[in-house]
Amino acid sequence: TDGSFAVNDIPSGSYVVEVVTPTYRFEPVRVDITSKGKMRARLVNHIKTSEVIRQPYPLQIRASGPHSYFMKRETWGWTDFLMNPMVMMMVLPLLIIVLLPKVVNTNDPEMRKEMEQSMNMLNPNPELPDVSELMTKLFSGSKASSKAGSSSKGSRPAAKRR
Amino acid sequence: MAKQILLLLKLCILFYVVHAVFEDQVGKFDWRQQYVGKVRFSHFDTQMQSSKKVLVATESNVFAALNTRTGELFWRHVDKTGPEGNIDALLHHAQDAVLVVGNGRMLRSWDVNIGGLNWEILLDSGSFRSACLVGQQGTVKHVAVLKKTVISVHYLSNGHQKWIENLPESEIVDYQTVYSGGNGQVFVLGIVPHSHITIVVYSMEDGEIIKQVSVEAPWLSNIPASCVVVDQGMLMCIDSTTMSINTLDLHQQLQMTQIPLQSLGLEVDPDFHPSLVSHQPNPAQKPLSEFFLQLGPERFLLLQLNNGQIVTLRDFKPALLASFATTGEKTVAAVMSPKNKTACSINLFSADTGRRLLDTTLIFTVDPNGGKPERLHVQAFLKKDDSVGYRVMVQTEDHALTFIQQPGRVMWTREEALSDVVTMEMVDLPLTGTQAELEGEFGKKADGLMSMVLKRLSSQLIMLQAWIAHLWKLFYDARKPRNQVKNDISIENLSRDEFNLQKMMVMVTSSGKLFGIDSKTGGILWKRYLDNVPSNAAFKLMVQRTTAHFPHPPQCTLLIKDKDTGLATLHVFNPIFGRRSQVTPPALPQPILQSLMLPLMDQDYAKVLLLVDDQYKVSAFPSTKNVLQQLQETASSIFFFLVDSSQGRLSGYRLRTDLSTEQVWEVVIPTEVQKIVSVKGKRPNEHVHSQGRVMGDRSVLYKYLNPNLLAVVTESTDVHQERSFIGILLIDGVTGRIIHEAVQRKARGPVHVVHSENWVVYEYWSTKSRRNEFSVIELYEGMELYNSTVFSSLDRPHAPQVLQQSYIFPSSISTMEATLTEKGITSRHLLIGLPSGGIMSLPKMFLDPRRPEIISEQSREENLIPYAPELIIRTEWFINYNQTVSRVRGIYTAPSGLESTCLVVAYGLDIYQTRVYPSKQFDVLKDDYDYMLISSVLFALFFATMISKRLAEVKLLNRAWR
Repeated sequence: TDGSFAVNDIPSGSYVVEVVTPTYRFEPVRVDITSKGKMRARLVNHIKTSEVIRQPYPLQIRASGPHSYFMKRETWGWTDFLMNPMVMMMVLPLLIIVLLPKVVNTNDPEMRKEMEQSMNMLNPNPELPDVSELMTKLFSGSKASSKAGSSSKGSRPAAKRR
Repeated sequence: MAKQILLLLKLCILFYVVHAVFEDQVGKFDWRQQYVGKVRFSHFDTQMQSSKKVLVATESNVFAALNTRTGELFWRHVDKTGPEGNIDALLHHAQDAVLVVGNGRMLRSWDVNIGGLNWEILLDSGSFRSACLVGQQGTVKHVAVLKKTVISVHYLSNGHQKWIENLPESEIVDYQTVYSGGNGQVFVLGIVPHSHITIVVYSMEDGEIIKQVSVEAPWLSNIPASCVVVDQGMLMCIDSTTMSINTLDLHQQLQMTQIPLQSLGLEVDPDFHPSLVSHQPNPAQKPLSEFFLQLGPERFLLLQLNNGQIVTLRDFKPALLASFATTGEKTVAAVMSPKNKTACSINLFSADTGRRLLDTTLIFTVDPNGGKPERLHVQAFLKKDDSVGYRVMVQTEDHALTFIQQPGRVMWTREEALSDVVTMEMVDLPLTGTQAELEGEFGKKADGLMSMVLKRLSSQLIMLQAWIAHLWKLFYDARKPRNQVKNDISIENLSRDEFNLQKMMVMVTSSGKLFGIDSKTGGILWKRYLDNVPSNAAFKLMVQRTTAHFPHPPQCTLLIKDKDTGLATLHVFNPIFGRRSQVTPPALPQPILQSLMLPLMDQDYAKVLLLVDDQYKVSAFPSTKNVLQQLQETASSIFFFLVDSSQGRLSGYRLRTDLSTEQVWEVVIPTEVQKIVSVKGKRPNEHVHSQGRVMGDRSVLYKYLNPNLLAVVTESTDVHQERSFIGILLIDGVTGRIIHEAVQRKARGPVHVVHSENWVVYEYWSTKSRRNEFSVIELYEGMELYNSTVFSSLDRPHAPQVLQQSYIFPSSISTMEATLTEKGITSRHLLIGLPSGGIMSLPKMFLDPRRPEIISEQSREENLIPYAPELIIRTEWFINYNQTVSRVRGIYTAPSGLESTCLVVAYGLDIYQTRVYPSKQFDVLKDDYDYMLISSVLFALFFATMISKRLAEVKLLNRAWR
C-alpha cells in the first residue's frame, strides 16, 4: 500500500494528529473539523494557539528522523587525547619553538630582513587601539570573578603603554 | 554578548548533566512484561498444521496473537479503553480475523500472519447484536453483522458493503442472532418477549427477504444464551422452566417440538440453568449434528440429533468443562473432569460416536494458589499416523492462561491478572542465613566470654565458606556460555544484595490475585488468588513490618473494601513467601471509612494500623495491651482526616484516649460548584535532606516542610469550557488551616498531582488554549526558620511564602510520580507516563517557580534556568527508551540502598521496571569505569619510575667515576 491511513468516526472539534512510533519522530498537526464537516490542518503551536499556518489536507506527514534515546559513552583513545584543543595548544607551540630555528637559518641577513617586513605587515597601523585594550574597556564594568582572570591578562600591556 | 555566550554554555552544561540511558545498558537492569488482559475470545490459527498462533481478544480491548510454543506475543493491538474500544466479536477465517469494535461501530479486518490492518469500515449507528461469517458453495466470502434495526453483509476481502436491509418490525421484535449454514441464506432470529420467535430469511445474493415466519415460544427470552443451531438448521432451545429441549427446523418452520429431558432419562440439578454448546467447524458448511448439554456444574452430555431424535452419545459425570475442536475433517470433543483435589484430567472423545480416543489423556494440575478452570480452548492437530493430537489452553478464574501439551507438560503460563495491577509495594529482601546468623549474634544476651569468641569464630567460618562457594560459582558460571547461565532465583535463595537494589515487588491486581515478583528479573516468585474478593473492591496495601526485624517475619496487610457497602476485610501475609500470616486479622463488622498506619510499633515491631469505622470508632490492629497503652499515651497527637467527596466535606479528627474520636475541624466545599477529585498527602517514607535553598547572595531561603500538608484538588461541576475551573487547596491536616488556595480558570481535569517536600506539581487541560499545562507551587518559610528543631502544625504563626509558575506541556499525560531516594540528597525528577508509551524523567529543576524571566547575576549563581513557557519532551529523557509501556496507570518509586539510585516500576497493561539516577551515579563507580586504563597507567608509571631510578643511578655512578 502507499502508507496512507484513514481515521474513522471522529466527531467535530479540534484535534492534534500525532504519529507515534518508537523508531521515528514525526511532527504533530492540528486538525480542526467544523460542525459542517469541513477540515483544515495547521501547525501545532502551543504558545500562540490562535495562529494558523495552513498545512496540506489530506495530511502528509513525513518522519523527521529517528528518535535518539541513548547518550554516547565517553570513550577514551589516543586520538581523542591528541586532538584535544588544550593538548594541541601546548604541543604545537612547542614544536614551533623547537623546530623553527632549525629549519630557518636566522643568521642569514636576507631572511632577517624579510621577517622584519612581515612583522610590520602584521601590525600595519600603530595608531589602531589594541585588542586587549578594547577588552579591558568592555569588561571593566563587570566584576564577575570568572572573567576577571581573562581580562586582567589583557590589561597588563595596555597599562604599560600609558 | 559575552554574557549571553557564557549563559549558553552554562545551559549546555545543564542539559548535558541531565541523565539518559546508555545504549549498552539496555536490558541490564530493566525489564518489561507485556500483557493482554482477560481473554474474551480466542481462536487457534488452524490454516496450517505448523501454525503456532492463537488469536485472543480481551476485555481490556486488546487484540493479539500469542505464540503457542512460548506464550510470547507475536503482535498486539491496543485499542481505546472503555466502551469505545470494546471488542464485541471476533470472527476468524483463514488469514483474516474480523473484529467488531465499539458496540458495532467499527468493522476491522486484520491479517493474522503479520498483524496488519487489512481494512476498517465504519458501520451505521445502532447497538450491536451478533455477527457471523457467511459461506457459500464451500467458500467464505462475506461477513454479516446484525444490529438492533439493520442487517448488513460485507465482503471479507475489502469490507465493502454488499447489501444492507432494515429489519422488519424492529420496534417490537428484539433481533438477537444471525446464522448461516452455508447454503446462500442468512437467518436472522429475533424474539418478542413472552410471545414468539421471529425468523427472517434473507437471500445472500441481494438481501431480499425470502421468508418471514413467527413461531410461538412464550418462555424464551434470550436466544444466544439458550439456543444453538445444529445439523441442517435445526434450532435447539433449552427451556429451564419445563426442563425440555425444543427443536425447530429453520427451513420448514412449522412449530416447536418439545422433547422433555425426562423422556431422555435425564435429570437436571435444581437451581441450575442448563445450557447447550454446538460447533460449526466451517462457516460454509452445516454445523455438527452433535452438541453438548450441560446439566449441572459438574455434568455434561454429548448428544446427537438423528432424524429429529435426540440420542445420548455419552454422559460425562463429573465433568468441569467441555469443548469441541476440529482438525481437517475430524472433530473431537475434549472434556475436563476432576481427578483429585489438585489435578484434572482432560480426555478426547470422537464427536460422532462419543468413543474415547486412546492415549489422549492429559493431566492439568490445578494451582492451589490459583483459581478454578473456567474455559477450555483446544487446539487439535493430525499426527503423522492420522490420529488426532491436541494441546489445550486452560483459562482459570484468576485470568491466567495455561498451555498444556500431552501428557501434562505445561508449556507456558501467562498471568493476565497482571494487566490490571491496582496497587503495589516494594519490600526489602531478607538477609541470607549467614548474615542473619551474624546479626543474631548481637541481638542475643552475652553468655560468657569463651562462648562469644567461639560463636564469632564459627560465624566467621561460615562466612568464609559462603564466600568460597560464591567464588566457585562465579568461576563455574564464567566458563559456561552466557545464555546458559540461568538466573535460577527461587524463594529459597533469595537474599538482599549489597546495595539493596533487588527487592520483592508485591502486586495486587483487580482480580484479587496477589503476586510476589523479583524486581531484578521480573520472575514471579509467588502468587495467591483470593477468591472471595468482590468485583468492585478497592485495595490498600500496607507494610506493617519490614524485613529489618529478624527473627520476626515481615508482614504486609491488604485492606480489601467493597466500594458499595464499605465493608472491608483484612488479608495479612508474609510478603516474601506470600503465605498467609499466623496472625488472625480482626473481623470488621462495620464499614470502614479510613485506615492509617502509625509509626508506633508493638513489642514485635509491627506498625499499628488504625481503622476508622462509620461510627467514628477506632480499632487498632494489632490490638495487644502494649499497643493500646502506647495509643493512650500518644492519643493526643494522633490526628486523621476523612474525605466525603459526595458531600464535599473534609473533616479532621483527633483520637481520644478511649479510642473514640472528636472532630477538630471541617472544611465544606460546596458540591453545587465544585467537587473534590483527589486529596494527596506526602509519602511517609520521604526524606528531605536540605532545609533550605542557598540563594545567589549566600542567604538561605528556608523551605516550608509541613508533614501534615494535604493538597486537595477540586474540579468545577460546570463543564462549559468558558466557566470550568480547577482549584487546588493546601490544607494543614491537623488544624484544618487553609495554607494556600489557587484557582485555575478555564481549565479542566483530569488533574494529576504530585505532592512532595515543599512543592506541589499538578497538570491540567487548559480549555482556553487547548493545551496541557503544568503548574508548580512551592512553599517557603522565608529567610528565617521559625522553629528549626521540630515542626508543629499548632505552632506556626507565619503563613508561608507561596511561589507559583506554570508551563505548557506538549502532550497529555497518563500518570505522574516523583523519584524517591534513601536520604533525599539526590535531586528530584518527575516521572511522567505519556499516552504514547514513554516514561519521561523530567528534572524538577525545570518546574521551579523561581526560574527567572530576566536573567540576573544572582539567578545565574543559583543555576536557575531562565523561564521558557514550553517544556519540551526529549526522547533522551525516556527511561524506557523504545520499550513502550502501554496504558501506564501508575508509577511506583522506591529508594534503594544507594543514595543515587531510585527503583521505578510502571504498571498498566504492561509492567516495566528500571532504575533511575537523577543526579547520575555519584556514589558508585560507573559501569563503564575503565579498570584496564587505570591499571595500565599505574603499571606504566611504576615501571617508568623503576627504570628512571636505575638510569639515574647509572648516571650518578658514571659521574662519580669521571
